[in-house]
Parts: sequence; C-alpha cells; structure tokens
Amino acid sequence: MARAAPYLPMSTGLRRISIVIVVLCVGVWFLLPRQSQAVLGWVGNPLSSVLEVPLKWVASLQQAVGETWERYVALQHVEADNQALTLEVARLQGEVNLLKEQAIIAEEFERLLTYQQTAPMKTVPARIIGRNVSNWYRAVIIDKGQQDGIEQEMGVITEAGVVGRIIRVNPSTAVVLLVTDPNVAVTGMIQKSRDEGIIQGTPQGTIQMKYLPPLSTVDVDDRVVTSGLAGDFPRGLQIGKIQSLIKADTDLFQAAEIVPIVDFAKLEGVLVITTFQESIPINLPAPLPPPSS
Amino acid sequence: MIIYIVLSLCVVIVQSTLSRYLAIQGVHPDFCLVLACVVGFLFGEYKGLAVGLTVGLFQDLLSPDGIGVNIVLKGLAGVLSGVITHTVSTVTWPSILAGTWVLSLGCGLASLVIAFPDVSATTFAYLLTTRLFPQSVYNSVLGLGCFMIIRKYQRPDSLFELLNRH
Repeated sequence: MARAAPYLPMSTGLRRISIVIVVLCVGVWFLLPRQSQAVLGWVGNPLSSVLEVPLKWVASLQQAVGETWERYVALQHVEADNQALTLEVARLQGEVNLLKEQAIIAEEFERLLTYQQTAPMKTVPARIIGRNVSNWYRAVIIDKGQQDGIEQEMGVITEAGVVGRIIRVNPSTAVVLLVTDPNVAVTGMIQKSRDEGIIQGTPQGTIQMKYLPPLSTVDVDDRVVTSGLAGDFPRGLQIGKIQSLIKADTDLFQAAEIVPIVDFAKLEGVLVITTFQESIPINLPAPLPPPSS
Repeated sequence: MIIYIVLSLCVVIVQSTLSRYLAIQGVHPDFCLVLACVVGFLFGEYKGLAVGLTVGLFQDLLSPDGIGVNIVLKGLAGVLSGVITHTVSTVTWPSILAGTWVLSLGCGLASLVIAFPDVSATTFAYLLTTRLFPQSVYNSVLGLGCFMIIRKYQRPDSLFELLNRH
C-alpha cells in the first residue's frame, strides 16, 4: 500500500517570520504607498506579461465566437433585409429619377411661364403628349384643346421661337404641325436686311425660306424672324438661322436653307398663341408739349 | 366590340408615343396598319374591317389628315388581308409577308398622295425610296412576326380567341 507523502509542518519560527514579513509588507503598503507601488510593479510586471498570453488567446477566441455569431447566427435574417433594402434602393433610385425628370420638366415650364408673362401676347401653355401617328407628317399632339380656347391655325411657340401651327383641335387635345412639315408656311423676315419671304418645311425635314428678293443682301448666319404679316404669329419671333443660300441663274428669287432655332426632337412644352397685338409695342418718346404762346 | 376599341386605342397610343423609339433611319412602323392586317389574316375580312375602321378612326383623331383617310385605308387593309387568307389555299409566311407588304405599300402611296398633293417628281421619288419602301418592308416584317407569334401561342382562352369569338 502506497504511503501518503509525509506532511511537513512549517516550523513555528518560520511561521512567525512569515507573519512578520506579511505584516511588515502590509504596513509598508499602508505607510509608504508610492514606494510600495514601485516595488510591487517590479514584482508584478513579469507576471502581467505571463498573463497577457492567455488573456489575448481568450480575447481572440471571444472575438472569433462573437464574429461567428454576428456573421452567421445573428444575421440569419440579413438576406431578407438585404433583399428588402435592394428593393428599397431600386425604388428610391426610380423616385430620384422621377424627381429629376420632374425637375427638368418644371424648369422648362418655368422658363415657358416666365416667357409667357413677359411676352406681348396671350398664350396657353401646353405639354406634348404624343408625336406624329403617321409617317407622312411632322406633327405633335398637345394636351390642350377646344376646352382651353385652342382653335385651328393658332401659332405655337416656345421661349426660343416658332414651333408650328395648330392643324386639328379635339375637345381636350390638339395636333400641331411643325414648321419642318411641307404643309406649313409662315411669313418670315431676315432680321438684318429686313427682306421678307415664306418659310416652309421640306419633305426632307429641313426648313427653307423662299421668295427672297434677288438683290437681297442676305448672308449665312443671318437670323430669320416672323414678319407678322399672315396673322398667326406676331412680328419678331425667332425661326432660325440661315445655313446656306440657294440661287440658280435662271431663278427669279433666292431661297435659303434655315437651321431651326427650336430643337423639335427635345420639345416637351409649348405655348399656343391665342391673341396678340399686330406689332410689338415700341416705347416711343413722349410727344412734345404744345408750344406755349 | 369593346375589345376592338381597347386594342385599337392601345395600338394608337403606342404609335403616338413609342414608335419614334422604334424608328430606323427616321422610318416609323405603322402599328395601326399592322394590327388591321394581322387581325384580317387571322380572323377574316369582317374582323379585319372592324379593327381597321376602329384603329383608323383613332389614328385620324390624332393625325393632321382629315378624318376619314385612315378609316378608309386601314379598313380596306383589314378587309383585303382577310380576302387574301380566303384566296390562297394555305396561309404561309411568304403570303403574309407579301400581303402585308403590298397593303402597306398601297396605303402608304395613298397617304403620300394625300399628304403631298403638289409635290415634284424628284421629291416624290425621294419620298418613295426613303420612306415608303422602307416603311412597307418594316411593316411587313413586323406583321409577319406578330402573326407567327400569335399563331404559335394561340390558345382557346387567349385574348385573340376571345377577339375571334366576339
């Protein structure tokens, strides 16, 4: 039978010495706290570095467990959240696009309305809701019709210049034939030389100014405006710029190709001229007072 | 009858809003004509006539033409496409292609004369080559595509069978 290790009791003297040392240490710790801290630090610092290893190990384990928990266990609903958020992002992107679009349209209409308030004519703003339904005409459909006071042959403009003429009026819509259509003719005038002519579209989609006087001093890049003679447009509205001149030796009149000032492909809002003064009023000087006798 | 009106209305709206995105070199397809022809080919001259008249009326309301031009032309296209299906022994893809092409060419020529009554021969030739022929080819290919798709997916409870029964 194995014998138990013999119990070696500490001798009474050694026990007393130990007690004295402990009491002394406690006394020193109480009486000289600052100095004792230095001594204790000298003793404790190596121990702290020993403790550091398992502490770090436990901390990394805790972190790993925590990360695992957060990534795989606690985030088990994240896929659903992700899908919901993706949908939300798509919805918000759509909303942002819509708002941007509305802002652009609002900006264009603001420009139109500003022009409407300052222009010397009464106009009705309208939105373009459709393009030509036939391959043979250059036309747009607007959202204003008879109910809004629109009538056939009324002129249609933007703040930039002439767009076309109302050709068909329905109760709440109207069809505008653009100036690029061969079936539209507008009386025009070269702004610089004051020569008049007829502005007409061509089947190719361009605009020509016909019947210009043969001795006209018209030149490329001259501005063309409405002359106000036909009665559907007031005088002075921009139509375009001269791009090139056409004149054969046998022709009685000159003609000119015009680049329209209005971009018809990007047209979104227009003004329909309902009434206007025959000529744009000019601020004439006040009449002189009668001579005093 | 309501289904004809709804279908025609949808096609005219598509024509006035989306056709410019489908334009090739400035040539727009005429969905209204294609609809009248396809319905005529599939369901005969009476249905073709009804759809042609309806779609023509809607097209005329939004067109610078006077009311009546498209009613007559589209109605005629619907009737003639129905007649073609009775005339040929078997409706095959070449007959549909050729039929739609001829009808589109005829309607386009009539529209061209109405839209540009006093145009010079040079301009007329220009319009013929740059717009009329390409558009008729476009329409015929589109019509054939629609016809084949509807034929392939035609089911007893489909919209087109419903259209046929009414």
